[in-house]
Amino acid sequence: MLQFAGFWMALVMFLGIWWGHVSVRWLEYRIRVIWPSIVALAVAGLALNVYALFAPNLTISGVSSVIGVTLLWDAFEVYRQQKRVQKGHAPANPRNPRHAAYLRAGGATTDDLLEREPQGAPAAADTLSVSRTTGRRRDIAEPVAKSAVIRTTRGGM
Amino acid sequence: MQWAGIALGVFSLGIIGFGFYWVIKLEYLLGYHWWPYPMALGILMVGGSLFIPSAIYSALLGIAGGSFIWGATEMKEQAVRAELGWFKFNPKPRPSPPGYRWIKKIKAPHL
Repeated sequence: MLQFAGFWMALVMFLGIWWGHVSVRWLEYRIRVIWPSIVALAVAGLALNVYALFAPNLTISGVSSVIGVTLLWDAFEVYRQQKRVQKGHAPANPRNPRHAAYLRAGGATTDDLLEREPQGAPAAADTLSVSRTTGRRRDIAEPVAKSAVIRTTRGGM
Repeated sequence: MQWAGIALGVFSLGIIGFGFYWVIKLEYLLGYHWWPYPMALGILMVGGSLFIPSAIYSALLGIAGGSFIWGATEMKEQAVRAELGWFKFNPKPRPSPPGYRWIKKIKAPHL
């Protein structure tokens, strides 16, 4: 007889991290205030862990706890995502007033710098992008021609 | 009460933390082209977990396997982060993985 406990755990682990990763970015991009989402995720995560204590068997208990822990981690990731947006490590949403303030303050960008293929060398100055909103170049000193700049904006959001 | 379930949740948190560590290390030392190896390791672990009679040990192996599969999909993005200067970039030539000719033909997964 095959033991499926590990399989279910692996599936929940992988999907939980993946969807958590995607949802946190999606959510943080849109919300004006981050703390209600952080509280909601933390409460849901704790509730699933409490349920895990009373679940009928180990697989259901483990699956609930793993999802619960993932949600607790996602609560923390909402905060970390905000920090990434402030630094320009994740794209800011100019239509979100909170992000618009980060863009005005400088450092943030609407471009997604991670949307590129690895080149095998440190990113050359002329391939780093320019913030569309502030027009300010990030991370580097000398200006370059606009034509040399790779646009890395994530479309449709 | 199912304390073992909570232990699995805590273990998953630890293994995610370990994932952050090995993705950074492996990308730095070997390069992201090695991604199929952690992925294969993860798949073998999940496959192996099916044949472990004990539910708790099967679960531990499954959790570890799932995180290796996820980590493999993070390696390409980690290479980009290093190139952008967000992480230490390794300027030295890194070894090509066995089977590099075939690996190159597959687009490195990224979620």
